[in-house]
Amino acid sequence: MSVAGRLEFHDVHKSFGAVRALRGVSFEVSAGEAHAVVGENGAGKSTLLKILAGIVRPDRGDVRFEGQPFHPSSPRDALVRGIGMVYQERLAFPNLSVAANIFAGREVTRGVTGKLDEPAMRERTTRLLEELHIPISPDVRMEHVSAAYAQLVQVARAIAFDCRVLVLDEPTTSLTDAEVEHLFRVVLALKARGVTLLFVSHRLPEVFRLCDRVTVFRDGAAVGTHRCADTTTDTIVRAMVGREPPERVARPAVSTATTPALAVRGLTRRPSFSDITIEVRPGEIVGLFGLVGSGRTELLETIFGLAKPDAGAIDVGGKAVAIRSARDAARAGLALVPEDRQQQGLCFNLTLRHNLMIPRAEKSGVVRIDKRDETAAAGAQVERLAIRTPSVDRLPDTLSGGNQQKVVAAKWLATEPSVLLLDEPTKGVDVGAKFEIHNIIRANAARGMACLMVSSDLPEVLTVADRIVVMREGRLQGELAGAAATEESVMNMAAHK
Amino acid sequence: MKKWWHARELSTVAILLAEVLFFTWYLWPEEGRTHPFFNLGNALLIFKYSSIYGIAAIGAAIVIISGGIDLAPGAVIALTTVVTGYLFVNLGLPLWLSAFAGVGVGVAAGLTTSALVVRARLPPFIATLGIMGIWRGAAYIVTEARFYDLSAKLPRGWQIAGVSIDWLGPAVMIVLAIVFQRFMTGYQWGRRIFAVGGNETAALFSGVPVNRVKVLAYVISGVLASVSGVVLAVVQGQGKADLANGYELDIIASAVVGGASLAGGRGSVAGAVLGALIFGVLRNALPQIPGATFYDRLIVGVVVIVIVVMDQVLVRRES
Repeated sequence: MSVAGRLEFHDVHKSFGAVRALRGVSFEVSAGEAHAVVGENGAGKSTLLKILAGIVRPDRGDVRFEGQPFHPSSPRDALVRGIGMVYQERLAFPNLSVAANIFAGREVTRGVTGKLDEPAMRERTTRLLEELHIPISPDVRMEHVSAAYAQLVQVARAIAFDCRVLVLDEPTTSLTDAEVEHLFRVVLALKARGVTLLFVSHRLPEVFRLCDRVTVFRDGAAVGTHRCADTTTDTIVRAMVGREPPERVARPAVSTATTPALAVRGLTRRPSFSDITIEVRPGEIVGLFGLVGSGRTELLETIFGLAKPDAGAIDVGGKAVAIRSARDAARAGLALVPEDRQQQGLCFNLTLRHNLMIPRAEKSGVVRIDKRDETAAAGAQVERLAIRTPSVDRLPDTLSGGNQQKVVAAKWLATEPSVLLLDEPTKGVDVGAKFEIHNIIRANAARGMACLMVSSDLPEVLTVADRIVVMREGRLQGELAGAAATEESVMNMAAHK
Repeated sequence: MKKWWHARELSTVAILLAEVLFFTWYLWPEEGRTHPFFNLGNALLIFKYSSIYGIAAIGAAIVIISGGIDLAPGAVIALTTVVTGYLFVNLGLPLWLSAFAGVGVGVAAGLTTSALVVRARLPPFIATLGIMGIWRGAAYIVTEARFYDLSAKLPRGWQIAGVSIDWLGPAVMIVLAIVFQRFMTGYQWGRRIFAVGGNETAALFSGVPVNRVKVLAYVISGVLASVSGVVLAVVQGQGKADLANGYELDIIASAVVGGASLAGGRGSVAGAVLGALIFGVLRNALPQIPGATFYDRLIVGVVVIVIVVMDQVLVRRES
């Protein structure tokens, strides 16, 4: 049996601080096969890829490539030794040409002076682009290349380095159907030439179409490898979740007679969204669903005063409010749990206590900090949301992703808002934390808070929301009662006219 | 709970003590002679000259914590001595009024810098590089190679409440260090400065008025540089355009040695003052070692790198 491109993992462990990302991963990828790795967010897929790419080193365990121990010292080392990575983001040099990107780190040079041999690289790039049917010039700058072609350029780079393994990390997330087709044609052609494919995705139909075998990750371990021909989507989903999918929690009906806690009327911000009218009543959870680019995040940020609307009005508790900043929003009784906790949620130089108390202090206009009051209030939030930390004086990066997300929610709940806006509240957290966050949202709704939750996670919207509002390309498409909605009915509304 | 011995300022105190002990030992005199370094008069000298750097370093630390940088303090100090000198000597205004107007130089520098950073979105390095040139240039234009001799109009051996005027700088530095240390750790405006320096976007999303925080940081920095300038004008008795040339680098170095991170979000006012004293001791003691005078700048450079590397190693070990 051939070994070119064979990958083996034996009992691989990796922890980041308190977070055990991988706890004894063992599986193997045979030479020349297309192998999928699937799992929920936080299951350990990305850590595995970082080990393969030489970005992190495992704490323990054995990784073998073609029978030899494989511990690349850097992404470049991994590439030179035969493993090429294709990321969904553009990890490229936007200011350099396509040719320069493909040969970055292994430029073709001439003579002892090491002068760059531009014509040779350009020539080679032209051939590669033709081979992969990428209709772009080798001289165009990377920043002008579309997302789909940027990924194919990464594939071209892997071929230029003669890689025996091509790793694709969620490659289809931002591609159109036609672009996905093109990418799949290219990688299947490579597979036919003997290149081993490792395909990381959460889109099961694509996994079944492209791959021979699939390994399921759950909570940092590989819980099983299945032959795609002998298994079903349901089996894989059950293995990923580790239990039956959650049931809808029965919730009391919200009276439609009450004054809406939040009423958005004809809100417009071009080009992101236009003429959005939404009402959320006290105690109600409204799910705002839409595909990437439908304008949901922009809508929440505009309601919250982080961007200026072109037109429209916002009422909070039946009164018109003018919101020009996050502080105005906080004072009007709004709270926003943003999408990206690393960038928008937490100050990593400040302790949990300081992070937890900033919005509350901004809302109340604190001048002098009362440490005793803060410690008590921060401690109360930690307890209420069951944030697992030994002390409120720790720094946020000692916490797991799920607990960090709870801190972001807690710092806003400490302002005792009447309206809670949530943008992808469970993005990148593990399954346990996800259910905890759902329960936090339900508990606050039960206390009379109005919740408007943006989520791309359809099962989440279906299990949590009382009412589902669907947006498409910046416009409202319609709404559905949470209990009556199905994945198909919501998806149809989000994707079609 | 954060342990008190984890406080970053303590390692700065330890470095300062080690430095004083070293020079006390190295410069130990022959039997019967007074110690050339370890005596009260010399301590006053060190404090007197360090305070010019130390007062401005408080402002530099605050700007660095907010995620910015200020290259202008040297020029602000110079223009302040010139404006104060001109008003006091040429126009015959009272000293307090001239000093007050001198501080206006720093307010103007802070407001202009923050307008460039917040409105025109210039990188702080570029904005303050420009301010540095303009303010220094203004000082040269006003003085036209002359200088204002304040000392001639000030009483000889001037004392305030029985204390020599030489103590003015150290006293101002210590009072301001205490005030701003409390401001940064015990007040919401101080916390906002840390938050903006740590993660500007998260601060904005949390309701922090980010732009106002930046204005405040640059105005504090400008005002404190001007206060340095007033102290320099009074203690040195001069208003002159080429005073405090290149001080901005020593001021920034003081803040950095005291724990300020140029990435923003980390640092301390007390640390910056201690950093200024560390350099003050070096500047005072090195010339007393035969042949070492020429090594002054080199040793300052080495000290900055060694202390910051040590700090990073310690931080890494903790986490």
